Amino acid sequence: MKCEQYEQLFAGWANGDLTPAERKEMEQHLAGCAGCREELADMQKVWDMMEVIDTPEPSAHMEVKFQAMLDTYKESVKEQKGLLSRLNDKISSLWQPRWALAYSLAIILVSFGSGYWLFHTSKGGEQEQQLQALTSQVHELKQTMMLALLENPSASERIRGVSYTSEIKHADKQVIDALLATLNNDPNVNVRLSTLDALTQLAGHPEVREGLIQSIVQQESPLMQSAIADVMLKLQEKRSVGSFKELLKQKNLDPGVKDKIRQTITQLI
Amino acid sequence: MNSLTDNVIMLKVKAGDLDKMGLLFARYNRQLYGFLFHMTYHREGAEDLVQQVFYKMLKYRHTFTGTGEFIHWMYSIARNTLKDTYKSKKQQVRHENVDDMVEQLSGGMTPEEQLEKKQAKAELHKAIEKLSDDHREILALSRFQELKFHEIAQILDITESAAKTRVHRAIQELKNIYTKNGTLKQ
Repeated sequence: MKCEQYEQLFAGWANGDLTPAERKEMEQHLAGCAGCREELADMQKVWDMMEVIDTPEPSAHMEVKFQAMLDTYKESVKEQKGLLSRLNDKISSLWQPRWALAYSLAIILVSFGSGYWLFHTSKGGEQEQQLQALTSQVHELKQTMMLALLENPSASERIRGVSYTSEIKHADKQVIDALLATLNNDPNVNVRLSTLDALTQLAGHPEVREGLIQSIVQQESPLMQSAIADVMLKLQEKRSVGSFKELLKQKNLDPGVKDKIRQTITQLI
Repeated sequence: MNSLTDNVIMLKVKAGDLDKMGLLFARYNRQLYGFLFHMTYHREGAEDLVQQVFYKMLKYRHTFTGTGEFIHWMYSIARNTLKDTYKSKKQQVRHENVDDMVEQLSGGMTPEEQLEKKQAKAELHKAIEKLSDDHREILALSRFQELKFHEIAQILDITESAAKTRVHRAIQELKNIYTKNGTLKQ
């Protein structure tokens, strides 16, 4: 073997990564080659010299920064997923109209039909009666549609359902019960907030007021707790004080909300 | 947890269990930092690079197939990160003040010895910085990280014999730099 062919073995020699056979071969060659002996000695010298350079330890900051980065990253992934599923909901509701679209179409058909029919019949009293019948039909349809929307898996559809409340003139028990159930049980805080708004509009109904008061202790989100305090103040509902006092006993209550509820109580009494 | 191989952990991260990246960080942050430090000789810069590498491993977790070793994938991302950093900053990251690098010296030496060692260290740093990127890299892996040739070969995606030859050339280049400076002591 020529000297150049030992190049690779030199490196192995320096960092101790040689097989016993390679080592033997190397030693045999070195014994008879002064040039390579010198070359290896130089190499070894440079290699050993590098000993003085040490590798510092990373600072403690590095781990803290890593953890912060990981948390931020996880958050961003969650948001992206949320966005994606919202988009999916939109798309699926577009492609699978299910109830909402069917009801909308029914309303449109009934409205057009009635308009056409009214236009062609012109007897006063009868017309009035028929108009009323049609109006109540449309109203009923709206209510059914609203109730169906409240069951929709997509939060934005449920909010849409809640918003129909304003178009329902005489909210009956079924509607009020559905809204109160949404207020207490909906997983999405935005839906619950919209429901609270809708129910505030219906505060003329005694059962709505009663339901709102009972709902106070059921709300866990600081946002909802504070919003419901605003509503009670607006409605000057003194009976809510008991529920608020109950809420104040909860251990995990947000300090900001705690202050707000204390203020609300003093303002109500 | 040590019973879990790196690949199993990384595949869990890939499947969405992002917290598991913390385990890999615990296992490899020091090694990765060591490599990036020897490539930059800049402590804070190396820490930032470690952060970037872990971020990229999260971001591109879908590219981890599990067919190769996790550690090789990690190094390939680290090497790309280095390239990108230097491309954009044109080597500004490198060259921390050499005096800062050598402040920590072990005790039990006379002031003269300390000074001598400090000078030797400073000179060596300067010499290593003059090496080509390939050579500095292979010395970081073989000399300072003490990796075996078969590992280095996989990380650099070259054959084992090519890795050995490169180590030899790197040492020769370093020796030449020293000889030119006339500082290689006999």
